[in-house]
Amino acid sequence: MSTKKVTVRLKVNGKDYVRDVEPRYLLADFLRHELHLTGTHIGCEHGVCGACTVLINGKTGRSCLQFAAALDGAEITTVEGIAGDRPLHPVQEAFHEAHALQCGYCTPGFLMTTIEFLGQNPDPDRDEIRQALTNNMCRCTGYLNIIDAVEDAAKRLREGAREA
Amino acid sequence: MKPAAFDYHRPDSLEEACALLAEHGAEARVLAGGQSLVPLMNMRILSPAVLIDINRCRELSYLRREDGVIACGALTRQGEAETSDLVAAHLPLMAAAMPHVGVRANRNFGTVCGSLAHADPLAELPSVAAALEARFVIASSRGRREVDAGEFFVSALTNCIEPDEMLAEVRLPVAAANARSAFLEIANRAHGFAVAGVAALVEIDGEGRCTRARLSAMGAGDTTARLAPVEALIEGRRLDEGLIREAGAAATAAAEPAQDVHATADYRAHVIGTLVSRALRQMAGQPGGAA
Amino acid sequence: MKAIEDFTLVGKTILRREDGYLMRGKAQFLDDLPEPKGLIHLAFVLSPYARADILSIDAGAAKALPGVIDVLTGKDFVDDIKLFAPVIEIGGYRPVRRPVVAVDRVNFVGEYVAVILAESPYVAQDALDLVEVSYDPLPSVAGIDEAAAPGAPVLHDHLGDNLIFKTAFETEGFADRFAEGDVVVEEEFRLGRVTGVMIEPRGCMACPDPIATNMTLWTPTQIPHIVRTAIADHLDIAESALRVVTPAVGGGFGTKAHVYPDELIVVALARRLGRAVKWVQDRREELLTNAHAREHVLKIRVAAKNDGEIRAVHLDVRTNCGAYPNHPYSPTLEATAAVRMMPGPYRIRNYKYDVSSVTTNTAPTGAYRGTGQPSAFLAIEGMMDRVGRRLGLDPADVRRRNTIRPEEFPYVNVVGVRYDTGSYLPSLERGLEMIGYDAFRAAQPEDRLVGGKYRGIGICNYTEVSGTGAPGWRVRGFAKMPGFDSSRVVVEPDGKVTVYVSQADAGQGHYTTFAQLAADRLGVDWADVMVVEGDTSKTPYGTGTFASRGSVVGGGTVIRCSEKVGVKVRRIAGYMLNADPERLVMKEGRVFDPASPDRGLTLREVAETAYSMNNLGLPQGEEHGLEATDYYDPPMVTMANGTHVVQVAVDPEDGKVEIERYVVVHDCGRVINPKIVEGQVHGATVQGIGEALMEEIVYDAEGQHLNANLLDYLLPTAMDVPDLELSHIETPSIDTVGGIKGAAEGGLTGAVPALANAVGDALAGLGVNITRVPLRPSYVFEQIRRARAAQEGRT
Repeated sequence: MSTKKVTVRLKVNGKDYVRDVEPRYLLADFLRHELHLTGTHIGCEHGVCGACTVLINGKTGRSCLQFAAALDGAEITTVEGIAGDRPLHPVQEAFHEAHALQCGYCTPGFLMTTIEFLGQNPDPDRDEIRQALTNNMCRCTGYLNIIDAVEDAAKRLREGAREA
Repeated sequence: MKPAAFDYHRPDSLEEACALLAEHGAEARVLAGGQSLVPLMNMRILSPAVLIDINRCRELSYLRREDGVIACGALTRQGEAETSDLVAAHLPLMAAAMPHVGVRANRNFGTVCGSLAHADPLAELPSVAAALEARFVIASSRGRREVDAGEFFVSALTNCIEPDEMLAEVRLPVAAANARSAFLEIANRAHGFAVAGVAALVEIDGEGRCTRARLSAMGAGDTTARLAPVEALIEGRRLDEGLIREAGAAATAAAEPAQDVHATADYRAHVIGTLVSRALRQMAGQPGGAA
Repeated sequence: MKAIEDFTLVGKTILRREDGYLMRGKAQFLDDLPEPKGLIHLAFVLSPYARADILSIDAGAAKALPGVIDVLTGKDFVDDIKLFAPVIEIGGYRPVRRPVVAVDRVNFVGEYVAVILAESPYVAQDALDLVEVSYDPLPSVAGIDEAAAPGAPVLHDHLGDNLIFKTAFETEGFADRFAEGDVVVEEEFRLGRVTGVMIEPRGCMACPDPIATNMTLWTPTQIPHIVRTAIADHLDIAESALRVVTPAVGGGFGTKAHVYPDELIVVALARRLGRAVKWVQDRREELLTNAHAREHVLKIRVAAKNDGEIRAVHLDVRTNCGAYPNHPYSPTLEATAAVRMMPGPYRIRNYKYDVSSVTTNTAPTGAYRGTGQPSAFLAIEGMMDRVGRRLGLDPADVRRRNTIRPEEFPYVNVVGVRYDTGSYLPSLERGLEMIGYDAFRAAQPEDRLVGGKYRGIGICNYTEVSGTGAPGWRVRGFAKMPGFDSSRVVVEPDGKVTVYVSQADAGQGHYTTFAQLAADRLGVDWADVMVVEGDTSKTPYGTGTFASRGSVVGGGTVIRCSEKVGVKVRRIAGYMLNADPERLVMKEGRVFDPASPDRGLTLREVAETAYSMNNLGLPQGEEHGLEATDYYDPPMVTMANGTHVVQVAVDPEDGKVEIERYVVVHDCGRVINPKIVEGQVHGATVQGIGEALMEEIVYDAEGQHLNANLLDYLLPTAMDVPDLELSHIETPSIDTVGGIKGAAEGGLTGAVPALANAVGDALAGLGVNITRVPLRPSYVFEQIRRARAAQEGRT
């Protein structure tokens, strides 16, 4: 085995990046320490807690279980890419108004899960929301306000889609 | 918790992958979805010197119907199987199990074959494959061979794949017209790592008799295996409540589970019986035919 | 002090200002901070043995690895870090000190054995595999019963046995009063070992100031000032030369309200090497080494009259200290909390307790949300049900019979704790009404079997200790726990306000609620109030954010301090307006006499005078500036209260407990921000559901930790959480500033006993006796199976 670096090209939040990293370098570390996109948090490094969840080619994935090198050419969306410097995304607005975050450490992962989920199921019931949220763990909120927020976000997105 | 260094190879075809396996053998591991492998690498329970990443072997990503089976390639994601019309139509047992396999983010990347190769006796897909009497296509530079679940699953986290081989495909027989199936599992919370589970498939004739039964339990032992005594008990008989209870008891008697932090062996044995009874009850109540 | 009714912003939901940057990924948690040049990354070699002698450590191969700077062992720290220990002054406590990195002997799995210093976290991990430690394993002991047994391996030779703490209390004539009971009911309860499992594990980074000799420590702690004092003390650093800063903190729950060895180590290394040093904890380390909690055995004997009146209670609590006392609380924290909280909302006048703690070869135990209270109420609330069953009384009636009535307040309980106000009985009644208790009981069959499942209701009527002041800490032996918190409120020259608070937020929303309080008192827009906390160089000294202190003590000092500044504002405004300061009010950013509201000043105009930015000058004797500092030592404790009523269905075929209804009535006195209080109740309740139904750290008999990962240590997910039916009662305190009581822990305290009692009620017809948590399917099933077998044996 070697610690020889390989070149990785990733499009992250719409921007192209090229970095040389060791093949073992995890996507989470790549985003956080190479690209300084520290909004993606590390919680367990064994794929359970979901804090590091990002969108990889549009799908939620654990960035702690992905090698950056193996994703060469992929498109990644992190929490920083949801709204950028623009006003909050409807999902973020819904989280804010429902008080769906406390410490906020897990929140980026929940936002990613919610965006993917509502893309697939725009009008979910609370049981479906609960099921979708098993993608992530939160220790502060007890989930209830997150469930409310996802319900509200779905409504906002549906209304937004109607208006558009 | 960071993985050890490894040499990284990214073949574009199964042939190249096999060539790399032939070269590196026991030092190498195949990386597909990484949802089982990478946690073990992060914890340094596994530190392979060579990683052969098959994610660019596009030819291995497929779900297709071939005379009586659904063939699933080594790169087919669990999430693809979950939403596949083919799976929904022809493999209702697998379709029922999919939502229990990890969580969405795991299924988006984890592969069906990867989970099978991981050979966790508490995982869903090995049990499903065993109940379906799946065939495992193992490839290497030496050629291809096909084995059944009994041969494939050797013991906990151990399969029959040789160091120069990889699981290239799993072939899952489509459900017969008169087949019914059920997948049930129990965890220590509403959704999560199962303590025990049952994958069951029966065929019922016009008289309401069970003509064929295939059941496999999660957590029943050191390896994924069918519940042969239960199958023998119910084949040729009507699934009435008395038989259903008897089958549960037979499953409990047949199980040889392990104890761990989640459950006692005794509980696992009993709850497997409960799940077998529930599965049979559910199937007895189902309309005939597989969708 | 203005009457609390004057509050205008208090009691309103204001959406949190914290949310924006958290949701945009801009918050900086420890590992998100920009890394200083030349940063050294640490990793710890952890003991794989519960108890062993360290024979040798060979770090040669590790040191030879490119990128490894050094590998240090325990001996390398003995000169610059004193033996680590809390200062506890209570009868029956026997001090134990420890090296921060093991020297010669390890006493629990996960204890630090060596320290890797490397250029990157990946290389540091590589080096861990290369350090060769030779151990001589020794007999070890993990459980309370085993550690207390004769002949058990003794962890700390100077103690002679494993008993590190033991004390007792007894009211006068206890034995006679106990004998007055018509019935005596006894039980032994056990709680599993749990821990906080914040989604952000711990970590810390020390950075020497390149110019001065100062040192900054970034650490996601709930107690920055106490951390500073402890480090200064153990490392011989002037407190003035050490700055402790909390970055954004990803959850605390008490687990982050300790001082940990690694915090001392990074500072010592940064000082020694003159370089920045960082350590980031991983999940395995989090579960192996952070302070665990609970693992209590409570033996309780209750003497009751035939009408359900509790005459006397004897409680014996035994706890597991772990290998060493945690800093700063030692094992006395949960132990004394459990025995002191047991009387709860009940009129218990005759009380005897014994409490003890033993050292074992397990991780040190300490604070975790609820601290001792889930244990206390599991015991006393469990006994309310048992007394009812013994006497043929409804368990709700037994509670009613003993609950302190509204007209009895203020009430001083049997251990001298004053309950100033409370809604103990109204809360209970509302909870029962909300769940439809009477109808449920009327319909509940004798065997509790409905639709193939056993259905039952569990109640927990609890008091919740909060905002502990100095006397509350002293009485439990915490000699160096200040008790007060403090603030500095500054009206800046432009009339905007900065509030510096000695607290340290870990998600509680202080940046919003403290702004709300200051804005309320100063009559300004809350958005014009900035809050600064979690930085010992910016805020005055204080105790920190744990034990439900934030709103009571932090909020209290912000109210007091804002009012102090307000007095000066009115004094200067009175001088400027030639008006009586006493008549002036502050509202909407202005200062004016309500009699002539048009003739007023903006706060900015007053501030400009205070800062000498005009030619008006100050009144005689007035100093420049417009600020105040306040140190608020609250009452001994302040009691919030509440009631959980839970309906469950237990499936006898698989042992699973399903929560069908969950009612919470909650009274935390004056509510500052309802949505934030609701969030605290939700979060604590769900942690309680976790503790009651699934969470448990498991050690085998020898002290091997069996589940240091999140696959095996189970946290509740969204699917485990029922919709809570939540109702608030607001009974303001008459003792605390603003009438505020704490809100953070009652949810957990209520949930554990309520769920245990609900399962117990559901299975009572079977004769199953539920005495422990967690109630995992495997355990519940086994109880049902045994009971059914016993029943069949009888018939």
